[in-house]
Amino acid sequence: MSQSNIGGFRIAGISTCLPPMVVDNLDPALGFPPEDVRKVVAMAGVRERRVVDPSITSADLCHRAATRLMERLGWAPESVSALIFVTQTPDHFLPSTSCLLQQRLGLPDTCAAFDVGLGCSGYPYGLYIAAAMLRAGGHQRVLMLHGETPSRFVSPEDQATVLLFSDAGSATALELDDTPGAGGQFVLHTDGSGANGLILRGGAFRDREPANPRHHFLEMDGAAIFNFTIKRVPPLIAETLAFAGKTVAEVDAFVFHQSNRFIMKHLMKKSGLPDDRVPMSIEDSGNCGGPSVAVAMTRRLTPPAPGQRLHWMLLGYGVGLSWGSAMIQIDDRAVLLHDDGEGLSLNRGANDE
Amino acid sequence: MSEKSKTQVSVSDALAMLAECFNLPVEDMHADLQRDAIDDWDSMGALMLMAELDERFGIELTAEVSREMTRIGDVLAFLKVHGVLSENA
Repeated sequence: MSQSNIGGFRIAGISTCLPPMVVDNLDPALGFPPEDVRKVVAMAGVRERRVVDPSITSADLCHRAATRLMERLGWAPESVSALIFVTQTPDHFLPSTSCLLQQRLGLPDTCAAFDVGLGCSGYPYGLYIAAAMLRAGGHQRVLMLHGETPSRFVSPEDQATVLLFSDAGSATALELDDTPGAGGQFVLHTDGSGANGLILRGGAFRDREPANPRHHFLEMDGAAIFNFTIKRVPPLIAETLAFAGKTVAEVDAFVFHQSNRFIMKHLMKKSGLPDDRVPMSIEDSGNCGGPSVAVAMTRRLTPPAPGQRLHWMLLGYGVGLSWGSAMIQIDDRAVLLHDDGEGLSLNRGANDE
Repeated sequence: MSEKSKTQVSVSDALAMLAECFNLPVEDMHADLQRDAIDDWDSMGALMLMAELDERFGIELTAEVSREMTRIGDVLAFLKVHGVLSENA
């Protein structure tokens, strides 16, 4: 059973970056039947999406988010001893994009850096790894970056996915904290038997050059994913509450991966969560994969008042199939930053900075 | 089977539920109505039905079973198999 109670760390800050390009789902120029679009928008709740120019990658969005966060926190690059990059949209198959980000962020060569290939569940998993590394010793400060550009792997002809997915990057700064009670709880799950429910079959080493052109793009079995979600997420919420020894009333916010408004509303109803404690950013940020958890926090939640400490439950679920939660604490020194990508160079590659 | 799944409904109540789910007048809803004839029994309608059955009865309609349903009668049969359609309705 993957339940972990990890003490001795705090979240120093969370920063997100969206690409500057906004796509209005109701724009007739997209070429989908208007009635179909209206229904999808009404159900999924995505009015507009933020998508990258093809020259921008997840790493670029995360780089911007991390740079701003480190500046705000006053973290010198040499004080960071680990960089975790959670993504399913790396710059290259190899090397790990985290190695490129280590160089771009000016982190020292004494810094550990590695990629983690998870999607919708990536945020709580990434936090878990970062917290465990801090707890294990040898680290004072860890950066966990999580970015995705799903708009790059959806078929432009598949309205079920193209109207849903958006792009985003995030950076979360964690550091040691010896304050009594500091830390968080993590619950992680996996069921690979449902892998075909959300899959990009071609392009990697199982099938480098797929004969079926559809296999170059994301395939989503919406019904199977919906079924997985309503079956797995409510028990995850209950399990996390029990493990953390809390009730719904004692949690200040339940931050869902922004998968689909209809699904989130159903989960909230099933788990008895009040509307005012479930932030929604899907309307104008779309489903940007796992980083949507960070986007919902930076765009919809406010930091604690002086002397206050908030408890937020973070919930990731989807591709894998993989799902997990993190019960975190946000203290009054924590920084929440959001950036709409203004001025993000549209032609800046990894080696240009 | 959970406590919730023991809730039973009559056939007419089930038809009313399906009419609401698929945005059709309840008087148009009957067991022989084909899926192809229901505009809103599309991929999103299928999710609505899954959510409704989960919320109201606590029963799981899998994607595979959902895809095999071709008429309203199939939904009623599914409810009956799960013990939520009252026999004497």
